[in-house]
Amino acid sequence: MSEFQDNERDREQDPDVRNRILPEHRPLASDFEMERPIAIETKRLSLWYGNFQALFEVDLRVQQGLVTALIGPSGCGKSTLLRSINRINERLSYVRTGGVVEVLGKNVYDADVELTQLRRRVGMVFQRPNPLPISIRENVLFAFDLHEAGHDGASSTSKDDLVESVLKQVLLWNSVRDRLHANATQLSLEEQQKLCIARLLPLKPSVLLMDEPCSALDPEGTEAVEELIWRLRSEYTILMVTHNMAQARRASDETAFMLNGKLVEHTRTDRMFVTPEHQETADYIEGRFG
Amino acid sequence: MSESLFATTALDERNRKVERLYRRVFLTMTLLLILPVFLILTVLISRGASAWSLSFLFTSPENGMTAGGVFPALLGTIFLVAAALLFSVPLGIAAAIYLSEYASDNWLTRLINLAIINLAGVPSIVHALFGVGAFVLFFRFGTSILAASLTLAIMTLPVVIVSTRESLQAVPRAFREASWSMGATRWQTIRHIVLPNAVSGILTGVILEVSRTAGETAPIMFTGAAFFLPFLPQSVYDQTMALSLHLFVISTQVPGVPEDLPYGVALLLIAIVLAMNSLSIAFRMYLRSHKKW
Repeated sequence: MSEFQDNERDREQDPDVRNRILPEHRPLASDFEMERPIAIETKRLSLWYGNFQALFEVDLRVQQGLVTALIGPSGCGKSTLLRSINRINERLSYVRTGGVVEVLGKNVYDADVELTQLRRRVGMVFQRPNPLPISIRENVLFAFDLHEAGHDGASSTSKDDLVESVLKQVLLWNSVRDRLHANATQLSLEEQQKLCIARLLPLKPSVLLMDEPCSALDPEGTEAVEELIWRLRSEYTILMVTHNMAQARRASDETAFMLNGKLVEHTRTDRMFVTPEHQETADYIEGRFG
Repeated sequence: MSESLFATTALDERNRKVERLYRRVFLTMTLLLILPVFLILTVLISRGASAWSLSFLFTSPENGMTAGGVFPALLGTIFLVAAALLFSVPLGIAAAIYLSEYASDNWLTRLINLAIINLAGVPSIVHALFGVGAFVLFFRFGTSILAASLTLAIMTLPVVIVSTRESLQAVPRAFREASWSMGATRWQTIRHIVLPNAVSGILTGVILEVSRTAGETAPIMFTGAAFFLPFLPQSVYDQTMALSLHLFVISTQVPGVPEDLPYGVALLLIAIVLAMNSLSIAFRMYLRSHKKW
């Protein structure tokens, strides 16, 4: 069976995806009128690389269960902001952070925060798909095994079920079901990126951070991964950095625009792209600078 | 006049000549490089092969080392190299893991790196004198296998560290980030991701070290290798014979040695080195073909 047909089958399993509701046409009332809890909140977040200040007192509130896109020109600090939420910035010894980053109401910079637990709850998807050089199945179970090792090891049948269910969630199961022991690096980039999302799910994260998750993919891969992101929303809070304004427009509920380390504007995506409040936002959206 | 649009000009002609000249110069240099290796091998084989036999490998020297085999020296070299690696490999790999995976880039790390590079440049005779001072005299190991192999270990350490660190750093950073971002600790990442992917490079480096260590003479001649011993060593506190020193002795210190004997010993030494190198190349090729990215 060809890969194409496999993908088709994956999509058929889920009628929602087949008749995917495009953001422009989706019913807004249910999405926005109810007050959603805040999943991520930064308060006066500043960050320095050595002497260079990359973030200036950023106050960002990301609502739970939505896809929020972070846009802005290169070097505006959007990736830095993303990376300070799961504290992956920190391994660079010259990084200093000021302010507060709350995930589900808890400041992740508090002394009693265990980094491994934080990263378990806050998954990250990278720009370049980075599956580990082990089998597809091992990739899915890698983090799960690390974190569950202390408890009773799950039996291998329940692990099989887990692998199957998360691969189904990312619409990858049918195309890889017969090669779960093949090396993950042999997959196409699109499949790799889906796998990178799949391997986070067994940890039951509440937040998924995505750093330009589609920029290494071709248009078809981009569409497939966007579709997946859209499917995962509501169950997970997704904060996605993107360079691609069409993508922000297509695949996000809210958009935040950053410029020179500052948050300029943050509002509903449909509003941002039609009636931006700030001149800089309008200029950027219309491509007057990039 | 319909000159072709892309016809050769005088400048093109000149460029082509210069191109040809340089190509030849570089080719000649490369061939000159291979020539000594080729000559050494031909001379050794033509003059030394006649000395080789089963009894050459498996009996002791006789008649004041003018006859008989090289068994104690062969065994001694194997002991010395094995013991040296026993010390230097775990230590070197641990240090390389620290430097590559844990150390932050500060003045201390830079100092350590500088020290390693300098240690690699210390002449082997200086290592030998250090070995005498430290292991033979200060630690009172006497001239022994222990002292000699520790001296060899110190000498191989920087190379093991550098080659291991390079293999570790050849593992793409993206794998580590992926692992960390899923909440794996540094050690879990090293254990499950970095080491399995670096092991081929590390082992290749170690095997190459074996071949280099096997040929060293200066570091062992004051610390544990003997000119001639009528018996095999019984413990690490005994002295031992070694191929490299044996070659030196029968070529320069002993009168009346038949001509093919030193060549035979040299051929054996080279054979060990070449065998080790080929093993390392074969191993690398095998692991490369199984490499996963």
